[in-house]
Amino acid sequence: MQDKQFMKEMLTDSAQAYKQGRMDRRTFLALCGASGVALTAVMAGDAEAAADHVVMWNWGGQSEECHGSAIGDAFTASTGKGLRFDTSGPLEGKIKEMVESGNVTADVADADLFNAVSLGPTGHLEPIDYSVVSKDKTLPGYALEYGVSVILYGYAFVYDTEAYGDNPPQNWADFFDTAKFPGMRSLYKWANGSLEAALMADGVAGDALYPLDMDRALAKIKSIKDESLYWGSGSEAHSMCVNGEVSMGMVWQNRGRNIENDTDGRYKLVNNQALAMPGAYIVPKGNPAGAAAMQFIATAQEVPAQLALLDCLGMTPSNPAAFGQIPEDQQPYAITSAMNIDKIVYNDPTWWGENGGDAVNAFLDTIS
Amino acid sequence: MNALRKHIHPGWLIIAPLLVMVMALYLGPILNILWLSVTDPEPGFGNYAKLGESDALIRILWTTVRICIITTVFSVTLGYSIAYAMMHCHQRQKNYMLTLLLVSFWISILVRTFSWLMLLGRRGLVNVALEDIGLIAEPIAFMRNELGVLIGMIHYMIPYAVLPLLVSMQAIDQRVMDASRNLGASGSQTFLRIYLPLTTPGLVASTLLVFILSLGFYVTPAVLGGGKVLMVAEYISVQLLVTLQWGTAAMLAALMLFGVLAMLWIMSRFMKLSTVFGGAAR
Amino acid sequence: MADLANTGSLQLRDVTKMFGTFRAVDSVNLDIQKGEFLTLLGPSGSGKTTLLMMIAGFLDITHGDIALDGASIADVPAEKRNFGMVFQGYALFPHMSVRDNVGYALSVRKKPAPEIKTRVDEMLELVQLQDFADRKPTQLSGGQQQRVALARALCFAPPVLLLDEPLGALDKKLRVEVQEQLKDIHRRIGTTFIYVTHDQEEALSMSDRIVIMRDGSIEQVGTPKELYERPATRFAASFLGKSNFITQGVKTFALRPEKIDLRVGQGGDDARTSGTIRSITYFGSMQRIIVDTAQGDEIEVDIDVWRNQEALSVGAAVDLLWQDAAAVELKET
Ligand SMILES: Nc1ncnc2c1ncn2[C@@H]1O[C@H](COP(=O)(O)OP(=O)(O)OP(=O)(O)O)[C@@H](O)[C@H]1O
Ligand SMILES: [Mg+2]
Repeated sequence: MQDKQFMKEMLTDSAQAYKQGRMDRRTFLALCGASGVALTAVMAGDAEAAADHVVMWNWGGQSEECHGSAIGDAFTASTGKGLRFDTSGPLEGKIKEMVESGNVTADVADADLFNAVSLGPTGHLEPIDYSVVSKDKTLPGYALEYGVSVILYGYAFVYDTEAYGDNPPQNWADFFDTAKFPGMRSLYKWANGSLEAALMADGVAGDALYPLDMDRALAKIKSIKDESLYWGSGSEAHSMCVNGEVSMGMVWQNRGRNIENDTDGRYKLVNNQALAMPGAYIVPKGNPAGAAAMQFIATAQEVPAQLALLDCLGMTPSNPAAFGQIPEDQQPYAITSAMNIDKIVYNDPTWWGENGGDAVNAFLDTIS
Repeated sequence: MNALRKHIHPGWLIIAPLLVMVMALYLGPILNILWLSVTDPEPGFGNYAKLGESDALIRILWTTVRICIITTVFSVTLGYSIAYAMMHCHQRQKNYMLTLLLVSFWISILVRTFSWLMLLGRRGLVNVALEDIGLIAEPIAFMRNELGVLIGMIHYMIPYAVLPLLVSMQAIDQRVMDASRNLGASGSQTFLRIYLPLTTPGLVASTLLVFILSLGFYVTPAVLGGGKVLMVAEYISVQLLVTLQWGTAAMLAALMLFGVLAMLWIMSRFMKLSTVFGGAAR
Repeated sequence: MADLANTGSLQLRDVTKMFGTFRAVDSVNLDIQKGEFLTLLGPSGSGKTTLLMMIAGFLDITHGDIALDGASIADVPAEKRNFGMVFQGYALFPHMSVRDNVGYALSVRKKPAPEIKTRVDEMLELVQLQDFADRKPTQLSGGQQQRVALARALCFAPPVLLLDEPLGALDKKLRVEVQEQLKDIHRRIGTTFIYVTHDQEEALSMSDRIVIMRDGSIEQVGTPKELYERPATRFAASFLGKSNFITQGVKTFALRPEKIDLRVGQGGDDARTSGTIRSITYFGSMQRIIVDTAQGDEIEVDIDVWRNQEALSVGAAVDLLWQDAAAVELKET
C-alpha cells in the first residue's frame, strides 16, 4: 500500500519525485517488456555488481541517509558488503512487475507487512530465513513467512485545541461524532486505518476488529462523509491541519510532532486507540544478492539500529528489547513507548493482505 | 519488385526502420494493455463485464467525462478570448502575454495545484480577505471539492487551449476581415460568419487536445478534490499499484483509448483532421 | 444599377494621413466624377493604399475631409459607406463557395434568399463565372479569383468601387485580358472606379484620368494623354513613359524618345544637336538608340526597325531632329 509514502515526504522533494518516480519507471518497464527489449540488457550494469552489495528499495530522500547510517554501516562492518539504494518506492504493483519481468534488481524492499501476505503466496517473494532473522526481535504475529516487521508506524489523530479546548476529543468515537464536535475531519484515502477507526468509533473493541465488518465500517465512514476530506499522502494530511482545513485529522502518528510544532501547539496529537501498522522488509523473489538480504534484515532488527531509525526517521521500534530504551522526548510520539503501548491496537496484516484490494475499492466507492 | 516500386515511394524505405521502431514502441504497449484486459485475472471479457455490474466504475467514468467536458468548455472558451486578445493587442503586450503563457508551461502541476490551495483554500488569501472585510461569515468552499478540481484543471489547461487557437488566428488574413466590413457586415456578423468559421480548425484542435489531456488528469483531482473526486487516471493507478487488479486497470485504459479513437473518428467524419492538426486547408 | 445614376462623385479636401510624425498622405485635393475611372499611380510607398483605405473607411483621416456627392463621410464607418472594394490579394472568404462570397453583402443586409440568388447569378454572368458558383476560392485560378472578388464587390451595387492593385498577382498576358474585361464592366455598370496601380501601361490604357502620386502628395492629375503629352514635372515625365531631359539656360524640357528623329551624318541645318551612337537595342517593334551628344548629354531615341538598317551602327555620327512642340517645358526640375 502507499503508506510508506510518509517516509519520503519527510523530504523536501516530496510529491513530484513520487509521481515522476513511479510513472516514469512504470512506463519504461512497460515499454521494455512490450517491445521485447531485454531488461537484462538495459540494466546489466546494475545486476552484475550485485554480489558485493545489497540493494535496498525504499522511498528515497532522507530514508536513504537514515537507512545508511542506522543499518548500512553496521551491516557493512559485519559482512563486508555495501548498501545501495533504489529510491523509486516499492509499491505492491511495482514489486509484482519487477519479479514478473524477470529482472529483479532489488534485495530488500521497505514495504508493509500485508504486502508479504499478498505477494508471498503468489511467488513474488523470497521466504524469510528465520535461522538468520529472529522471530523474537519483533512483535508476536509480525514475523510472517514472507516478511518481518522491522518498524512500526500508526494511525492516530490530531485536533484543534481552539475548537475543542475545554472538552477535547478522546477517541475515535469522538472523532466520528460531528454533532458533539462540529467541524471538518480528514481520513486516509486508501482505506487502511480509516476502516479500523470507523469500527472502533462504532463500538467494536480494539482487539476484535478483524475480520473487518466492511458494511458497518463503510456506513460509519459515510455518516461523516459530508464533513470529511481524504488525504493520499502524509504531506497532504499535514497541510490539511496546518492550513486549518480540518478541526480533527487522522494522521500518521509520527507526523504528530511536526503538526504540533508547525501550529505552535494549536493542534494536539491523540494516541489513544492509535492503530499500529507493521512496516516490513520483504525480499523480491530471485533477488541478486541472495542470502545477504537476510543478514541485512537481521541487522535492522538489532536494538541500536531500531533506536537509530526512531531518531532519524521517527519510526517506532518493533523489537520489544528496544521499547524500554526510547528516549524521554521521543516517548509521546512513539507508539510502542511506555506511555502509549497500552492504549494502542494492532493491525492484522493477514486480513489486509488477503482483502486489502477489495477493501480499498469499496472504500473509494464510498467516498467518491 | 518494379511493380512494388511503382506503388511505394523510395522515401519510405529511408524512414522504414524508424517507422518499425515507433510502431513497436507504441503498438507494443497498447497491444499489451489490450491483452491484459482480456487475460487478467482470467481469460475472457470479465473485466469488461464489470462495467455492467459495478455502479462504482460507471460513476468514476461519468465523473471523469463530466469534469473533462466542463473543463474543456471553459478552457477553450477562455482560451479563445485570451488568444483573441493576444492577436489584437500591441506587439509588446503580445510578447509579454506569450511569455507568461509559455512560462506557465514550465511551472510544475504540483506547484500550480498547491498555489490554488493557498489562494482559495479555507484559510486561503481570498477567504481571509473576504472574511476580514466582513463580506462572508464562513469561508467559501472553493477547494477540496469538484469546483476546486475544475478550477485547477481549467487553469492548467488554458495554455494548452490557447496555442492551437493562436496558430489558427495568426493564419487569418486581416484583409478578409476588412473585406467583410467593407461589404457591410457588422462586427458581430463578421465574427460569427467569418472569424469563427476560419478559426474552427483551431477550436477543434484545442478542444481535442484539452479533452484528451484532461482524461489523463491525476494529481489535480487527487489534491483539490479532497479525496472525493475520483477520476479514471487515479483509479487506474490504484488498480495497478495498490490493489493489483491489472485487468481492471487495463480494461479502463483500453476503454479510454477506444473512447479517444472514437472521438477522432467522429470528428473526421465532419472535417478533415489534417486541417485540425495544422495541415493545409485544401 | 439605375439607382446609381446620380451618385458616386467624391470630393477630397486636404486629406492628410499621419503615422506618428510621418506624412503618408499629404493634403490631397481631388474631385472625382461619378462614373469616372480614376487611377492612382505612383511608386511603392507613395501613399496609394493609404489614400484608398481612407476612402474605404479603414483608416481615419488625420486632417481634411472626404465627401460623397457633397456630403461628408469622414465619420461614417467602413461598413456603412457602401463602397465596394477589391483587395490586394482579393481577400476572398476561403470557407465559402463562390456563390456565398458574391452574395455576402446582400446576405448580411438580410435580403431575402431569392433576391440574393437572382442578383448573384446576374453578377456571376457579368464576370462569366456562372459555372463556378459552387467551387471554393482555392479551387479557382488567379484570374477567376480576381473576378469573384470583383463580383463580390459589385453585388450590392456600390456607387464607388475601390480596387487596390487588383491585377498585381496575374501574369502579363492574363493581365491584359482582365484589363479589358474590367474596362468593359466599368462601361456597362457606370460605377465610379478608383483604381490603384504602379503599372504605368495599365494606367494609361484603362483610365479616364490618372493621379500621379509622389511621397504622399499629388504630383499631377490629368487624362492619360495629357499626362503623357504634357508632363508637368521631371518626376511625372519619367514615371509615365520614358523621357529625355534637355536643359536650355534655366529651362528644362522633356522629350519623349519616340518624338526624336535620327539621321546618319552630321552637320545638317535642321539638326537640333548631333552626336555618336553608343548603343543599339532591338525590341522587335522598334529599336532604342542611345546617342552621346557633343554637349556631353545622353539622349535616347526610339525609331522603327526598318529604317537605316545598314548605316546605323555603334560609333556612327548622327544628327538628331525634333519639332518644337515635342519638347515640353517642365514647371520645375
Ligand atoms: N500603419 C502604418 N504605420 C506607419 N507607416 C505606414 C503604415 N501604413 C503605411 N505606412 C507608410 O506609409 C507610406 C505609404 O504606404 P502605402 O501602403 O500607402 O504605399 P503604396 O503607395 O500603397 O505602396 P505599394 O505600391 O508598395 O503598395 C509608406 O511609406 C508606408 O511605409
Ligand atoms: Mg499598396
